[in-house]
Amino acid sequence: MALFSVFQTTFLLALLSLRTYQSEVLSEPLPWAPESLRVFINSTHQCLHLQWSVHNLAHHQELKMVFQIEISRIKTSNVIWVENYSTTVKWNQVLHWSWESKLPLECAKHFIRMRSAVDDAKTPEQSFWSNWSSWEEVHVQNSLGHDPFFVFPKDKLVEEGSNVTICYVSRSQPNNISCYLEGVRMQGEQLEPNVSVFNLNHVAFIRETGTNIYCKGDQGDSIKGIVLFVSKVLEEPKDFSCETQDLTTLNCTWDPRSDTGLLKQLSQSYTLFESFSGKKTLCKHKSWCSWEVAPESQEMYNFTLTAENYLRKRSVHLLFNLTHRVHPMAPFSVLFTDVSATNATMTWKVHTTGNYYTLLCQVELYGEGEVIQRNVSVEVDGKQLFGGLKPDTEYRAQVRCANANHFWKWSEWTRQNFTTAEAAPSEAPDVWRNVKSVQGHSVVTLFWKPLSKLQANGKILFYNIVIENLDRSSISKLLSIPAPANGTELNLDQCLYQIHVTANNSVGTSPASVIIVSGDPGNKEVEEERVKGMEDGFSLSWKPQPGNVTGYIVEWCDHPRGPLCDLQWKSVGPTTTSTVVSSDAFRPGVQYNFRIYGISTERVPYLLEKKTGYSQELAPSDNPQVVMSNLTSRSFTLSWKDYSIESQPSFIQGYHVYLKSKAGQCHSGSEKAVLSDDAVCCKYRIDNPKQKTFVVENLQPESFYEFLVTPYTSVGEGPHGAFTKVTTPDEYSPILIRIILPMVFCILLIMIICYLKSQWMKEKCYPDIPDPYKSSVLSLIKSKENPRLTIMSIKDCVPDSIEVLNKQEGTRKSLTETESSKATYLYLLPTEKSYSGPGPCICFENFTYNQAASDSASCGHVPVAPVAPLSQLGLLTSPENLLKALEKNYMNSLGEIPAGETNLNYVSQLASAMSGDKFILPTNPPEPALCSEYKMQMAIPLGLASPPSSGSSSLSSVTLLDEGEHYH
Amino acid sequence: MQLQYQGSPFSDPGFSAPELQLSSLPPAVVSFKTWHALDDRERLSHAQGAFLALTQHLQLVGDDQRDLNPGSPMLLAQIGAARLRAQGLLGNMAAIMTALGLPIPPEEDTLGVVPFGASAFERKCRGYVVTREYGHWTDRAVRDLALLKAKYPG
Repeated sequence: MALFSVFQTTFLLALLSLRTYQSEVLSEPLPWAPESLRVFINSTHQCLHLQWSVHNLAHHQELKMVFQIEISRIKTSNVIWVENYSTTVKWNQVLHWSWESKLPLECAKHFIRMRSAVDDAKTPEQSFWSNWSSWEEVHVQNSLGHDPFFVFPKDKLVEEGSNVTICYVSRSQPNNISCYLEGVRMQGEQLEPNVSVFNLNHVAFIRETGTNIYCKGDQGDSIKGIVLFVSKVLEEPKDFSCETQDLTTLNCTWDPRSDTGLLKQLSQSYTLFESFSGKKTLCKHKSWCSWEVAPESQEMYNFTLTAENYLRKRSVHLLFNLTHRVHPMAPFSVLFTDVSATNATMTWKVHTTGNYYTLLCQVELYGEGEVIQRNVSVEVDGKQLFGGLKPDTEYRAQVRCANANHFWKWSEWTRQNFTTAEAAPSEAPDVWRNVKSVQGHSVVTLFWKPLSKLQANGKILFYNIVIENLDRSSISKLLSIPAPANGTELNLDQCLYQIHVTANNSVGTSPASVIIVSGDPGNKEVEEERVKGMEDGFSLSWKPQPGNVTGYIVEWCDHPRGPLCDLQWKSVGPTTTSTVVSSDAFRPGVQYNFRIYGISTERVPYLLEKKTGYSQELAPSDNPQVVMSNLTSRSFTLSWKDYSIESQPSFIQGYHVYLKSKAGQCHSGSEKAVLSDDAVCCKYRIDNPKQKTFVVENLQPESFYEFLVTPYTSVGEGPHGAFTKVTTPDEYSPILIRIILPMVFCILLIMIICYLKSQWMKEKCYPDIPDPYKSSVLSLIKSKENPRLTIMSIKDCVPDSIEVLNKQEGTRKSLTETESSKATYLYLLPTEKSYSGPGPCICFENFTYNQAASDSASCGHVPVAPVAPLSQLGLLTSPENLLKALEKNYMNSLGEIPAGETNLNYVSQLASAMSGDKFILPTNPPEPALCSEYKMQMAIPLGLASPPSSGSSSLSSVTLLDEGEHYH
Repeated sequence: MQLQYQGSPFSDPGFSAPELQLSSLPPAVVSFKTWHALDDRERLSHAQGAFLALTQHLQLVGDDQRDLNPGSPMLLAQIGAARLRAQGLLGNMAAIMTALGLPIPPEEDTLGVVPFGASAFERKCRGYVVTREYGHWTDRAVRDLALLKAKYPG
């Protein structure tokens, strides 16, 4: 029962609730309220997707309805969004609507509700709102993890310049969290106690890998952050254009502008859509796309180029007629036919792009600085004739084409070169000659200038020279000179010749250049005139000739100092009487000579004027080599005959002679000059450049002078280099020289004679052994006529002997101790015994050989001590004295002779025999153990040891004195 | 070097965030006392486990950076090289443990399904943590092996 009552109660309640519901539904004015509202969250896009349905629609019924959607944040009363969504609702349809939140959905709760109204004309009576649906709560935070705080949105992709809202959600309160954008702290606002929001306005692109935004708590909480990907704004493609070359493929190009590619977003893509055909193609390249032209003849095209990235689309449109966008391909097969010296025909082909239009082609021809331009209308093959061309000239031709009916663009150029054929030379060569007379013949050197390219009309192969003798007109001669010769030499006689010169190329001959040559070179004496050179050359002018002149020729040498003068000439017309001669070869300091010829009507050249000058005068660099002559005590002569005036770097106007002297006085004719080194000297001036001698006068004898000769010109004088030094002689030295020289000669002559006759002279004047018979003493004796006086004969002499004593070593014994010593006897004069055997050599030096005249014909030999002074000797008047002196001297000498030496003792036989003193004269002297050598005995002639006879004593003394005087 | 590619704050001079950790990667930082008290088996086991995790994390970071910095092949090459070194060290440690008669822990997937769906910032953060821990674990492994070498000379 109880169970039944419970069941009944439940049933009643359910019935009641059903009744209540039915009453509510019945109270709704709109039967099509939104039902089954569901909300889906897309955090990545911060989107809320709503899904609902409308019931009670009849099958196949369609009803236009409006759904009002209300969105609240944090709490239902805080409505942040209201939107009316109109749509047509069908039976059993599920409706969708999306809403993107500025604030990340994780940052706050959201509440959504909606109501509907019929917006259909068919049921106007139903057009009022239904009741609101219940609030649907969206709370993403519920699904977060357990971290202390979070930052939203995650990895958001926005365009540069847009506004972004960021928030953090903290689990704890209060929180103290700081957030940073690229290191800069952001200022946020509190949305809820645990939620803060940061609004970033106009975010900027920083890097492709995104911008880091992070937050951290001051309690050392973990770092949390997001990466904001800011892309560049997708721009509209620029310069979108399409064209075709062959009417089968369209090539569309554009400027893609900036790339919006990011780590989180690919670069923008491009799509080409043609609206007439409805075709679409995804372009593979960023800046161009190909489009196949439909085989059917679609003329109009309407293209839409769409650039698209994750965030945005941009489109540009282009409408055009295909035939108006033809950009032809470059022409091909460019050829030249019928090329002559002045004409050529150019042909070319174009790519066929259809049969219904023609091309306009532009042809250009470049050659020798001129341009020929032609426009040609072409359908398949192009052709153009060019006339008035120059022979033997290379031309460069180019052609391009464009659509003739609707010009769009020129094609690329196609280029081709060709060369016109040669033609005969158009001008006669410019000919000149140089005539020299050599041994009755004329040597004519012909010169000609090569023709210019314009005149030659081709390659000159040879020059023909026809020599025609005008005196004997029948004789002519032909010479052919191969190019590139520019002259030839002819040997002609003194006759008059007419010479024709022509230049020849492969096609023909040039007009002839005619010149008359005679044996007379025509170089009559004319005054040479000086001209002043200028920067651009020499300005020459000459007097007009009264007669008929066909022209003038100016002739000069480019290298007058060189071995080859390099003859140049310049032809001017008959009315011209002045010209400027310029040449790259002209150098400063070089004298150039110009000869001006007039050409007569008979074509005979004749010399009119001579000019000479320097393009620029330079100061002389060298001084003359001066020769000095005629040097006297008062003057000398200077001469520089070899100095060439013509080869100087400027016109020599004269010379300066500088003279330096110690006196420093300048005589008349000179002036004082101060040199660069402050030296003062006298300057003599010679105004005639041809005077090359100078006599320097008024000099002082025996004076030192320095001189220098230097040329002077209009631009200065020569270098003040080394002065030449000269010293004037004294006035008497020439006389003295005249006397002394013969004297010296005579003395020399005598000396030579004396030398040649020296033996004779010696015999005469200084015999080695005086011949007493030839002595002047003899004449003296004879003059005194003393019959008793005679000359001693050697045969009468008993030779003295020399006693040689061998003494014991270390002993010094007097001469008196001869008993214990072994005596050796030598003989002064050769005896048989003295030379009988070998023995030790004993040298006698300066032993005096005494001679004593004796009436009794006996020889009185007195021993004489070595080097006995004469005065001492003079005192020796007796043998005793003499012996004493000898002993004394001998002892002296013994003292000087080392012990053990051999002593000599000179024993006068005469004395020993007479005096009978204690000296024992050995009668039989032992064989000498030593050899004796007689050396250089000096003759002391007489008297020193004469016997004590009174008569002869005085005589001997006189003789000795005489000899002494003579000896000294 | 890896930080230079990530932008501020990672590329800021002196950037350091020790609070950033990965639950799947054991931290290398340990007090000296704790470290010294470890026995050989624990010591080698910790290092072996850490480098096993590091090889997997370096693979993950390499993949992350391939997305984040596709235009920096040098960075990707360095991460790849670091992973290979970690693998090499892992092999050497296994040899040492075998030589010492210690059991080698079984290889396990330390990452699981956790890392997928991470935001760009989270991937930058975990790249930072992994490279930081790689450096720390390398230092610690040097110390570990030096201690072992001292204990088992020759």
